[in-house]
Amino acid sequence: MIASSILSDTPLLLVLAISIVIGLLMVLVFRYTSDQKAIGRAKDQLKAHLLAVRLFQDQLPVVMRAYGRILHGTGNYLRLAFTPLVIVILPITFLIVQLDRYFGWLPLQPAQTFLVEARLEDPGALNQAVLQLPPQLSSSAPAVHVPKDKEVVWRVVAGRAGRYDIHIAAAGQTVSKQVVVAPGLARLSPARLKDNFWERMLTSGEPALADNSPVQSIAINYPAREISFAWMEWNWIILFFVVSLVAGFIFKSVLGIQV
Amino acid sequence: MKWLCSRRTRFGPPSAWLFIIALVLLFPQRGEAYAGPGAGFAVLSSFWTIFVAFLYSFYALVTWPIRQLWRMFRQRKAYGKAQVKRVVIVGFDGMDPELANRFMSEGRLPNLARLRDNGTFRPLRTTFPAISPVAWSTFQTGVNPGKHNIYDFLARDLKNYLPFLSSAQISEPKRHLRIGKYSLPLGKPEIKGLRRGTPFWHWLGKAGVFCSIIRVPATFPPERFPGVLLSGMCVPDLKGSQGTFCFCTTRTNSDKFREGGVRIPIERNGAGFCSYIPGPENPLGTGSELQADFKIRTDTNRAQATIKIDSETFTIKVGEYSEWIPVKFKAGMGFTARGICRFYLKEISPEVEVYVTPVNIDPGHPDLPISHPVTYSIYLAKLFGPYATLGLAEDTWALNEEVLDDQAFLAQAYGNHEDRERMFFDALEKTPQGLCACVFDTTDRVQHMFWRYLDKDHPAVRDVPQDQKPRVIQDLYDRMDTLIGRVVQQIDDETLLLVISDHGFRSFNRCMNLNAWLHQNGYLALKDGKSESGDWFEDVDWSRTRAYTMGLNGLYMNIKGREREGIVEAGAEAEALKEELRAKLDGLVDPASGKVGITGMFDCDAVYAGPYVDNAPDLIVGYGEGFRASWDSVMGKVTTAIFEDNLKAWSGDHCVDPRLVPGVLFSNRKIAIEKPAIVDVAPTVMKLFGLELPSYFDGKPWTVVGDRQVA
Repeated sequence: MIASSILSDTPLLLVLAISIVIGLLMVLVFRYTSDQKAIGRAKDQLKAHLLAVRLFQDQLPVVMRAYGRILHGTGNYLRLAFTPLVIVILPITFLIVQLDRYFGWLPLQPAQTFLVEARLEDPGALNQAVLQLPPQLSSSAPAVHVPKDKEVVWRVVAGRAGRYDIHIAAAGQTVSKQVVVAPGLARLSPARLKDNFWERMLTSGEPALADNSPVQSIAINYPAREISFAWMEWNWIILFFVVSLVAGFIFKSVLGIQV
Repeated sequence: MKWLCSRRTRFGPPSAWLFIIALVLLFPQRGEAYAGPGAGFAVLSSFWTIFVAFLYSFYALVTWPIRQLWRMFRQRKAYGKAQVKRVVIVGFDGMDPELANRFMSEGRLPNLARLRDNGTFRPLRTTFPAISPVAWSTFQTGVNPGKHNIYDFLARDLKNYLPFLSSAQISEPKRHLRIGKYSLPLGKPEIKGLRRGTPFWHWLGKAGVFCSIIRVPATFPPERFPGVLLSGMCVPDLKGSQGTFCFCTTRTNSDKFREGGVRIPIERNGAGFCSYIPGPENPLGTGSELQADFKIRTDTNRAQATIKIDSETFTIKVGEYSEWIPVKFKAGMGFTARGICRFYLKEISPEVEVYVTPVNIDPGHPDLPISHPVTYSIYLAKLFGPYATLGLAEDTWALNEEVLDDQAFLAQAYGNHEDRERMFFDALEKTPQGLCACVFDTTDRVQHMFWRYLDKDHPAVRDVPQDQKPRVIQDLYDRMDTLIGRVVQQIDDETLLLVISDHGFRSFNRCMNLNAWLHQNGYLALKDGKSESGDWFEDVDWSRTRAYTMGLNGLYMNIKGREREGIVEAGAEAEALKEELRAKLDGLVDPASGKVGITGMFDCDAVYAGPYVDNAPDLIVGYGEGFRASWDSVMGKVTTAIFEDNLKAWSGDHCVDPRLVPGVLFSNRKIAIEKPAIVDVAPTVMKLFGLELPSYFDGKPWTVVGDRQVA
């Protein structure tokens, strides 16, 4: 209970733990899906050609040949790393997208003002668009229309914590969008979109809007989460990238894995 | 060699980490970063390489005009008067001119024969004595031993009559920090080269002529000069010896090997076996020897065994060598000595026997410098994989002690040779202009160990019918000829090729213990009641000893004021004794064979001149054909027998009268000199590159026909 409380209050620890575990998993996957001997040889050859540039630096033809071999060796190394790269990149991308739902944005807090942005198919329908809020949320200003962007924007205030559905009625149809008002970590979906698979996969955590919906998208401007680490504010993905990379390099050295 | 251990960090250099962090902070955006560490791992290494290459390129580009100007200036100086663009020296340690001539007459060695017909083939006069470190030191410095201070593999300590390696001295760091029972070395071991004189490639390098020097003997420790050099003969193993093999066996045998190896028990451990490799002395001053444990699991059905040492696991079949395996000797407190060795599976049933080569200094992580610059040995290791670094890497002792058989020895020797060929041809490619010199010592080792099959009446193989004797030496010369063929294909008309050897070879079928002769003739006395001594003059009564011998060809007088317990007055008494010994030993006949055992006794005052003559033996013993100093005599032991048959595999030698064993000189150009000597090589090459010769040189430059200006 105490532990979960600490973890929920400190996403830093979670990000660090996940990064270290992923770093370990990555090098293990790399170990078992790559030709370790060939990679070792390719790396040694690259280092040798680099040293050749230094050792024979006054002999221009030798140096130029060494550069050629460095390029060739780099290509060879990337070829050897390609198979594990393909195997690793899909699950890790999926995993990061899922984690981004939790670590990418902060949930709204009670009494916090936020914006609801709806983009419509028809700019003429902007005047008919109506925002329907549950009792725990309230609108704090009149809607603003931006015809150039086919957008209508509402300013809303959260009353108390909870997971709510807001509705937007336009052109005779009503679509909904989830809003989360909560302390700590929560799974968030900053936007609801029409069926664009890749865009939805990267930024949305809700079902697609219907194809014939007059609304193209509904977005909530959750504040971006910054994580304090090493006297700096980090986007969690950058932190994850750095820590998992460092962990991976440490694990590969400890486990004697050629990367 | 306990002070070889070094403390190492486990991870890369700090600059690498700084670079990685900088890269990550600078480049990834939210979208790209989704690729995460998977992509990061895959591309970082190559990106790092390209980044470093880019930095080098940038540096090279920015500094190119300045360096080019400087090079032009220097090269004009170096090549302005040069008669060749490049000199390639291929050294075959011990290649014999008589044998080469004989094989060429038989229609073998077509490439060497072409050099003979179109260029030059001559015997090459060697040094006194005809021993590799002596002759190659003369080769590189252009002076006689009195000026380079190398007279044998061993020299004697005048304070205690004990031997030390003549070419280099390695000692512990001066400062230590005592912590409880430990004594932590502060600093690196001190390596002092004892060879004097300046190698001619230093002069060439200073003048802007690039030099690649591979495994020339007596180049350890490597000296700084503008070029690259990999040390050869005289590089020690990790224990600090000149090669100590390890023979692990389940057979109980308390006999010690006479030389060069240790016997280690293999013990049963559950379903498998375990043993260890002895390493250097603990650097923390505990007085114990470090060891690397390993486990063996045998598979009799497949005639193989799986060996696990540290994190390495590998399987080898009976009669096979492993690859080079990295071994770590951990001393504690972060001190680790690293080396490499090869395992040879000799037997797995009914007993288990594993031979382990001497633990070589790891060229990829050298605990002692074995090249100049240090990165050159690393470069070669990265390019070709680990390789033998020990000076005497072909384990002649193991064959002599019958731990290895002929085939296993040859597999080891030719394996090393192939590595060196790769290094040499790489050096040849990297030296399109300048000097490229490489010494191959397989010729020496194989002739030492297989002359018995060439000699019709060698005592070691008298029971082997003549037609069943393998033609190992013929095959050796064929291989070297093929190598020369490849070299000739890769050089142009502006390259001078010299193929040289430091000495020739003769049969070694009778051993002579000169200490025994000195004892029996009243020059060397043993303590009362003793008829033989131990090694290194144990039980010798120095107060009654006037002369002694140690090493291969040196005879010393026990001079008062020079040796600790000398009794012979320097001056007239010493001269008289020297003359007396010369008269009695020159022409000494072996009563059993009726042959002359010693054909020349050479006075050091007559054959040497220079500042280090005082360190020379008083007399150089020139053994007759078929004779050589016995192993006991070399090791300062007095035995009862003076002459005896040599029954060892070590059956050919060159430590005889130097007049009997000249080396070879082949060249692709005509050289106008009748009696060239190895001391002439340095002045000849310097003259070809248009350099002034130092006045102290003893050698004289040859006239190479067809010399022309190439600059």
